[in-house]
Parts: sequence; structure tokens; C-alpha cells
Amino acid sequence: MLSACAPQAVTEQGREVNALYTTFFWVAAGIFAITAGLIGWSIVRYRAKPGDNELPKQFHQNLKLEVVWFAIPQIIVIGLFVLSAFTLSEVNERKSEPAATVRVTGYQWGWRFEYEGTDVEVVGTPQDPAEVMVPTGDVAFILTSVDVVHSFYVPKFLFKRDAVPGRDTRVDVTINEEGTYAGVCAEFCGLLHDRMTFSIEAVERDEFDRWLSQQDAAGEGSTT
Amino acid sequence: MATGDAAIHASEPHGIAAWLTTVDHKRIGILYLVTAVGFFVISGSLSMFMRAELAQPGLQLMDESTYNQLFTMHGTGMMFLFATPVVAGLANYFVPLHIGAPDVAFPRVNALTYWLYVLGGVVIFSGFLTASGAASFGWTAYAPLSESTYTPGAGADLWIIGLILVGTSSILGAVNLMATIFGMRAPGMTMFRLPIFVWNIIVTMTLIMFSFPVLTAALAALFIDRNFGGGFFDPAQGGDPILYQHLFWFFGHPEVYIVILPFFGVVTEIIPVFSRKPLFGYRGFVFATLLIGAYSFSVWAHHMFTTGAVDNPFFSATSMLIAVPTGVKFFNWISTMWRGKLTFPTPMLFCMGFLFMFLIGGITGVFLASPPIDYAVHDTYYVVGHMHSVLFGGSVFAIFAAFYYWIPKMSGRLMNERVGKLHFWLMLAGFNLTFLPMYQLGIDGMARRIADYPAVSGFEGLNALSTAGSGLLALSIVVFLVNFVISMKRGEQAGDDPWGGNTLEWATTSPPPPHNFRRLPPIRSERPVFDERHGDQLDG
Repeated sequence: MLSACAPQAVTEQGREVNALYTTFFWVAAGIFAITAGLIGWSIVRYRAKPGDNELPKQFHQNLKLEVVWFAIPQIIVIGLFVLSAFTLSEVNERKSEPAATVRVTGYQWGWRFEYEGTDVEVVGTPQDPAEVMVPTGDVAFILTSVDVVHSFYVPKFLFKRDAVPGRDTRVDVTINEEGTYAGVCAEFCGLLHDRMTFSIEAVERDEFDRWLSQQDAAGEGSTT
Repeated sequence: MATGDAAIHASEPHGIAAWLTTVDHKRIGILYLVTAVGFFVISGSLSMFMRAELAQPGLQLMDESTYNQLFTMHGTGMMFLFATPVVAGLANYFVPLHIGAPDVAFPRVNALTYWLYVLGGVVIFSGFLTASGAASFGWTAYAPLSESTYTPGAGADLWIIGLILVGTSSILGAVNLMATIFGMRAPGMTMFRLPIFVWNIIVTMTLIMFSFPVLTAALAALFIDRNFGGGFFDPAQGGDPILYQHLFWFFGHPEVYIVILPFFGVVTEIIPVFSRKPLFGYRGFVFATLLIGAYSFSVWAHHMFTTGAVDNPFFSATSMLIAVPTGVKFFNWISTMWRGKLTFPTPMLFCMGFLFMFLIGGITGVFLASPPIDYAVHDTYYVVGHMHSVLFGGSVFAIFAAFYYWIPKMSGRLMNERVGKLHFWLMLAGFNLTFLPMYQLGIDGMARRIADYPAVSGFEGLNALSTAGSGLLALSIVVFLVNFVISMKRGEQAGDDPWGGNTLEWATTSPPPPHNFRRLPPIRSERPVFDERHGDQLDG
């Protein structure tokens, strides 16, 4: 089923989203099955028999029934809203002490990553996209743009957030699994939008620290 | 026809000149529909090139610049030059007939709205003839990308000017139809005897009158930014890119209902006819439509959840609530068919296609109303799949239902049933093959509006499938066009009322004479023609 096709998220927040999606999916599947079933049943069961010219019974309304079928979906969506609101507050929760804070700047057509508290800066281009490391655990990204609106999207995080010129937007994720995760720009940003990619490698804290000091030693403005 | 009428008509121009100078609502309706279908074919062809490019990784057919122009003009063409004008066309032709009126309230204004629309469409597409090509910032034209710094060139300005013309046309048309419905109903045609199609047009035209002026304002500001350094949306000058998104979507979400509500109206006219029963819950249906219209102005920022600059819980709540009045319509349609005597000529088949496909579009919309889920799938192919389930699976299936149902009235000839059914099944298969894979592609992380994707992405198979489906879709449209051309020459005579219809258009000839009616049946319900036909069998 589709729910099984949702990618396994590698962040705490992504897992919450995945769980919410799965709940929505089964509720939706139930509603679809009932509604499509009723339509299908009507099509098969109430097909006119050839030569039958008598009018069917002409009934017009049933207020009780209509109130009920208005109320039930209303209750379902309120339930879904509440579930979704809980997940929302968890996904948007800000961590007090992130293991790393990365300033991410989008521009046509690449990403610049700067590590707060260091001089490390990794700059990507369409030909040579940025490849950066982050530690597992809590990581804060502060997103902005120097030109048009971009969107910082890592499919394996099941998450994206826009990088808007003139604004800083902070998002926090808790990365549970080591690995290399592809990222793209999700908001259409002009000619080479499709080439505005990056990749994030999540590693143990120690390895990240080593990488960071190497980058620092290599000097400012180093690229991958 | 009275001799006085004949004398008047003898002095009128004939042939092409008659069409170019007409102020007759039926002719203008046909002009609208033919032009809109023309833009549908053009905009659809653009998407065929896009699907061909996406069939496999790597850029084979075009560069990014061309691709970006194609999806921009595909979206613009479909939304503004096809879907909205089809509404204008159907409403022009059938609202006066439905309410028993001889024409619309302002026939000359009506002609003006049509020609403004044609002019706007030509101006928008003329961007392709400029050195830098057509507009290439998506149909949403987000600032600052749409500012002259990032998208220089005349194509973008032509796009803005053309859209302002088309928007003005829509506003004028809305005023005209509202005046018609409120001022020109036949004796006995009370508000609660109006065909549901007309009710849906009332709500749609209200949405147009409140939303299009906001779009026009946003576009005017953008034009000033681009050409005179206005700085409305430029953060360096104290402007705000988020403001543009608010203005655009304050228009853009009601626009979605502008291009779906009239087609709810269409299927709600057709299903009772082929179920041989009245619409179940007429008043509830009208109430739900009014509620959708009201809610539709409170949901716009769900398009902006990922900006981090809008109140997510509020817009999530309103976006989920609007699913309720939309959803309950399914129960109206189902209980209309319930214990009816159903037949399935082509118009009814397309209505059934609409029910299933729009159901998918509606349900996936609730997913997108949840901000955390939206964070995952926003701006991916999931959204492309969702919007096409709503606008193609919903609107376009219903548009073809309307064509098969009403072309006999407009032309006097029936469309070929067998070819019509072939069209339906091809389109259903093509639609699902094209758009269902997109949901999975989006969940897997394929962003929308990309000219290319990497070969290692795992997106190849589903994209190839989708492209194959789009070929079937195109074929189905060719089948329709061939059916239309041949049926118009050799189709069976339709007679006044080929379907056993309910509403007043079936009480006059096919096509109706100038000024529509020689006599009207008494109007005592929303089904006056049915009442007259079956009066003796009804038990009051």
C-alpha cells in the first residue's frame, strides 16, 4: 500500500511525520473504500433494466440523514486536525542546545553552508553541489536567501522549509541515523532550479568535529 | 418566428461577420467554448513536450529555459485561458436558458468580455515570439523571481498585461451573469427552483468578483516593480516577497473553486437526469455550495505552510473544514443515484469518472491541509498529482460530461455514442497512468518544476509510466475532436430533448431560436420540463 511506500525518515521529526501520514492514509483509505464502494454499488445495483419505463420513486430529501452525513466528516476532520496539530508542534519544536548550528544561504543556483562558531564555509554550484557534514543528534539550520525564494528540502527528513530573502528561518531536526542524504531546492527559482542540489552526511559527533577542524584549517571560503 | 423578428434578422450580418459582431449569448457562449478548447489543446501540447522530456533522465529535447517556459505557459493557459473561460462559455450559453431568459442582462458587455479574453490570451502567448521567450516563472509568478532583475524580458511583462486583461474580462462577465440571474428569471423561477448549475454559477461569480481584483492588484504592483522600481516585493527596498504570495493565493485558492464549483453544478444536473430521480437534498446542496464559497476565502495560506511565515494551525483548520461541505456532496450524488434507474450514455459515464477521480483529489487535499505532511510533500510531484486529480480528474471529466450532454442542444446533433465511450475509457486509463505515479514520485522526493532529474534518483520507472499515460490522454483528446467534427456533419438529429432532461433548455428547440423560447412550461420546481412530461405520474 501507499503508506508502506513512504520513505523511512532518518530524523525524529520525520518519523513523527511518517506516523501521522500513515494514520491519515488509513483513515483516507477507509473513506475512499466506503465512498467508492457506495458509488460502485449504485452503478451496478441500480442500473435500469431494458424496457423498464416506469419512474423510480421520487424522493427528495431527508434532513436527519443530511445532518448526520454533515456531522460525521466534521468530526473526522476535527480529529485529524488535532492529531496533525500535535505532530506540528513536535516538528517545529526548537532545541535548546543543538550539536551544530548551520547557516544555510540559498542563491541562484547553489547553497552556502556556514558553521556557527567557526569560519567554515562550504559553497556549492550547479556543477559542483555542496557536500557537507553534520553530527547526528540535534542540528539547527538557519535558512535565508540572497536573491529569490528557495526551499531547503531533504526528502529523507520528510521536511522542507523555504529560504526567503530578507528573512532568517530557523528549523531544528534530530538526526537519528548516520548516512548521506540528498537535498534539493523545492521552490522553483529560475533557470537551473533542477541543478540546485546538495548533500548532507550525518556522522558521529567525533567524526564531525574532526571534519570541522580540518575544514577550519583549510581556511576560509573552502569548497568541497 | 414573427415577421418583425425576421425583418430585424435580415439586416444582420451573415457568416463570419455575424460571429465577430454577435452580442447573442448563445453565440458568445460557443465562441468562448471553442476558444477555450483551442487553448486547452495548445496548453495540453506544451505538457506533452514536458512529459516527453521527463520520460528519462538527462536533457534530450530542450534546455532548462524552454522547459521553464513550457510549464509556466501550460499552467497559465490551463487555468486562465481554458478552465475559467469554459465556465464563462457554459454559463453564457446555459444560464439564460436555465432561468427562462432571452439573453444576458448586458449583451454588449458580454461581447466585450469575450474579446478582452481573446486579446489577453493572445498577449500572454505572444511572449513566445519575443527574443527572451515567454514568461518562465511558473503560473504563480512568485516574487522576487518574477522581478525584472531575475526574469528580464518582454515575455514576462506581456504575461502580466495579458492576465490583467483576462482578469478584467472575468470580473465583467461575473457582474453580467449575476445581474442576469438576479434580474431576469422567468415568472415562477424562484431562487430555490434554480437549477443547481445556476446556484453554482452564483457562488462562482461571487468568488470571481472578490478574488480577481486582488490578483489584478498584485499583478499591477509586480508590473510597477518590474518597470518603475516600485519595490513592493523587494526586501532591499522594504518590500516583502511573502506579501506577493499572500495576494496571489488570496486569489489563487478561490480560483480553484472557480474552476471546480461550476462543474459540481454540471454533474449535479446530469446525474439526476440519468438516474430519473430528483437531486437528493437540493437545499442542503445549495447550503454546502455557499459554505464552500465562504470558506474558500479563509484557506489560502495552506499554499504557504513551508514559508514559516504564516499561522499554520489556523489555515490547517480552515483547509480541513472546507473538505466537509465538499465531501457531503458525494452523499448527495450517491443518494440521487440510490434506488434510481440508471443509464450510462457518455455524459453519465464522464460523471462517474468525475466521481471517482475527484474523490482521490479531494482526499489527498486533506493530507496537504496537515502542515507536517505538507512539509514533506509540498512542491513535489505529490502536489502535481493532487492538483491534476482535482482539475483534470474533476473539472476536465465534468467538462467533457457537459460537452456530450449539451453539444446536442447547441448544435442540434448528437455526438457519436460509441466513439464517445472510447474517448471516456482512453481518458480514464490515460489519466490514471499519468497522474497516479506522480503521488509516489512526490513521496519519494521528486520536486516539481524540474527540467531534469538524476539517473540515480530512482524516479525513472514511474516517470516513463507517466509519460506513456500522457500519450493515451492526448490520444483520447484526438478521439474527441474527431468525434466532434464527424458528428457535427453526420450526427443523428438530437430533437428538442434527447436525454429526457429536467431543466428549461430542453423545452426549446436544438439549437434554440434567437431569444430562446417560444413558450415556457410552468415552473413549479427545479425540474419544470420533468414536471411537464411526468405531471400525471407525480403524486404531489
